[in-house]
Amino acid sequence: MEILSNLFNVALLVAMIRTTTPILLVALGGSFTTKAGIFNIGLEGQMLIAAFFAVVGSIWTGSSLGGMVIGVAAALLFALIYAILVVSFRANEVVVGLALNILAGGMTVSLLKAIFGTRGSVVGRGIVGLPKIQIPGARDLLGPSTAQLISGYTPLVYVAFFAVPLLILFYNRTRLGLYIRVVGEKPEAAEALGISIVRIRYAASLLCGLFAGLAGAHMSLGYITMFTENMSSGRGFMAVAILIFSGGDPLKVLAGCLLFGFADAFSLRLQTFGFPSYLVLAVPYAVALVALFVLSWRARPKRIRETVDTIRRALSVHPSGEADRNAPLPRS
Amino acid sequence: MDLAVDLSGITKRFGAFTANDSIDLAVRRGEIHAIIGENGAGKTTLMNILFGLLQPDEGTISIGGRTMLVDSPAVAIHEGLGMVHQHFKLVPSLTVADNIFLGMEIRRNGLIDRAAQVERTRVLSEKFGLRVDPQERVAGLSVGIEQRIEILKVLARNARIIILDEPTAVLTPQESRDLFQTLRSFVDDGMTVIFISHHLEEVMAVSDTVTVLRDGRVVATKPKSALNKRELVRLMVGRDVSFDRRPRTPNEGTVALDVTDLWARDDRRLTALKSVGLTVRAGEIVGIAGVAGNGQTELAEVLSGLRPASRGRAQLHGHDILDRTPAEIRNRGLAHVPGDRMVRGVDRNASLSANILMGRQTKRPFSRLGLIDWTTVHDAMRALIQRFDIRARGPKDPARSLSGGNIQKVVLAREFTAGGDVLLIDQPTRGVDIGAQEAIHDEIMRQRADGRAILLISTQLDELKALADRILVMFDGRIMGAVDGAVVDDDAIGLMMAGIDPAEMTEAS
Repeated sequence: MEILSNLFNVALLVAMIRTTTPILLVALGGSFTTKAGIFNIGLEGQMLIAAFFAVVGSIWTGSSLGGMVIGVAAALLFALIYAILVVSFRANEVVVGLALNILAGGMTVSLLKAIFGTRGSVVGRGIVGLPKIQIPGARDLLGPSTAQLISGYTPLVYVAFFAVPLLILFYNRTRLGLYIRVVGEKPEAAEALGISIVRIRYAASLLCGLFAGLAGAHMSLGYITMFTENMSSGRGFMAVAILIFSGGDPLKVLAGCLLFGFADAFSLRLQTFGFPSYLVLAVPYAVALVALFVLSWRARPKRIRETVDTIRRALSVHPSGEADRNAPLPRS
Repeated sequence: MDLAVDLSGITKRFGAFTANDSIDLAVRRGEIHAIIGENGAGKTTLMNILFGLLQPDEGTISIGGRTMLVDSPAVAIHEGLGMVHQHFKLVPSLTVADNIFLGMEIRRNGLIDRAAQVERTRVLSEKFGLRVDPQERVAGLSVGIEQRIEILKVLARNARIIILDEPTAVLTPQESRDLFQTLRSFVDDGMTVIFISHHLEEVMAVSDTVTVLRDGRVVATKPKSALNKRELVRLMVGRDVSFDRRPRTPNEGTVALDVTDLWARDDRRLTALKSVGLTVRAGEIVGIAGVAGNGQTELAEVLSGLRPASRGRAQLHGHDILDRTPAEIRNRGLAHVPGDRMVRGVDRNASLSANILMGRQTKRPFSRLGLIDWTTVHDAMRALIQRFDIRARGPKDPARSLSGGNIQKVVLAREFTAGGDVLLIDQPTRGVDIGAQEAIHDEIMRQRADGRAILLISTQLDELKALADRILVMFDGRIMGAVDGAVVDDDAIGLMMAGIDPAEMTEAS
């Protein structure tokens, strides 16, 4: 019991909110492209390149805001290249996305060597992390342990969670949000009404780049101020999985990200309890796999359902007589 | 004369093909003007030019008496034109009101004002008698209501001249009647309706003036009162086409298909066939009449092995065919022309040869040592393309490059030469040009003369009256009764199609 109460406490919730933030930001970014009918597998690369340039930018400008802006600019550039290739030149979205992911991975490694002369990671060297925001009065009102639930995060944590209701409003009540949905769901309707599919998809791609950039900046300037090779470690792909199952719906995206964030935070806690780290690090991915399996079981294909039906029918004994007249008989 | 639209000398070429050849079209204000012609006659091209979707190579467009350049739909809409496309362009996840105001949202403080849109939709809907629920989502609405929404969309943009492209192709007869009433009320309000169709009955039913197009030219513009159906067909096709009953000699042989007490369920697991019984003899055409969706599709699917039966018996030459696979049933001698040719009839992307080969790819002479001999296949297909008059460049063309009528001929060519002596033919001429219909009917009669047993399912009563020896009427999964094809009483069939037993009627009267 002591272990459990040490494991599950406010600190775990706080950790969960922190680990949820980057994946939530990038998944909300992907929500724009998903809704606009683009299968954007390039989230990982956009996030990684932003994380790197956020570090570079914060050193150059000496400010965390400057770092964030430069990181986001890098992600936007990637998003723009993606949009040019996929929207204007109609290249295959998976191929382009994968190529940009590989480019981001390779580019950060070589730039790390070129700029900092190191391999692996860059720490210190004047990187300025994002400040923590203390909400005035929270401590007095809620007491120290509850207050840390809502106070003391870096700004992007608040951005991520406040973005969820804003996105709901965006999709339901603004013209651009509505057009993004229409372009994704029924492009010919958009075309017939003179809505430019290309322009809307560019807008969605760039909005996606903006959020993926914020996610990257949060990773390298949020709680740890450093950049390591491949530090996005599959979060962009996890976001893609969440997007497939949520259809880009902000609330469902939030639910999926919280699940992943929880698993992530939980695995970090387990590590401190001395579980072997290679097992513990697999926890978030295992949770994601199980979640995907459970979700897809509901949408399991017709053939599986029919097979199960047939087996069930073959096993059950049919009472004969008039009442059975309308019952389908199993085909021999 | 007060003209709403005046097109003169419109010519449009696509490469070497002339889709519209110096067309003159004058539409008076306040009339329903039908434009009729076969597929490919240039109707849709002409309307796309009027609506600014295409630019003419020659000719001028006047709207409301002013000659102008209509170089985009925006110009056309500004001039009071509205177009209801054949394929609806609605967004399923949005509400009715959202769809109507899409592209011209009512906004307040930068946000979409849902309440105002719903209110405006309600007002429009009441004003024009087109009932819709503004807050309902479009997903799951019937096509009739979807069309209403499309019309409201056009009205919300203040259209006074409404163009409808093949509006009844997707509607039930009841929905079509409602639509015609609506159109009539529009012209009573001083609006103008241009109505594109290749359906004779509805043109005769609803229009004031008819313009007939053939091969990109206007062959006639006449008031409807000066036309009859036969003459319309002659104008459309360019020759006399007979819908009379085909002459025949009695030719009946032994019972080939015997169905008794057949029950089955549809996709929603509801009972779709209720104790269906029928026999078809060699050299006989048995027709199945009925409004679409009364079990005809399910009957065809059960007999061809595509759907399990719940109960009953069906025999082909004395062999049970229920619970057999489609391949086994085919090998027993049943050929099936499916009702939806694009879904079950052909593979759109495969070549004509591959499409006709399907089902006999393992048989000699098409297959040798387990390999397909394409030279033999193509030669055989070339012969069939000629015999069935399929308009295609060659056997290697993909099926999708053909028109609907020619695709249907591909299906017929495959099924009629598959060696089966029982033909199950579902909707042979749905969406097929009148000229091609005649050719398909000829081929069906030839199969009858060859002694094949034919079960012909059609929603077109005229087709059954021309071809069938006996007509069975289906309603709600039951066979309501049978009539002799030679002495068809339209009223009796009509009653049975509506589910009323004619015997009861005579008893009551």
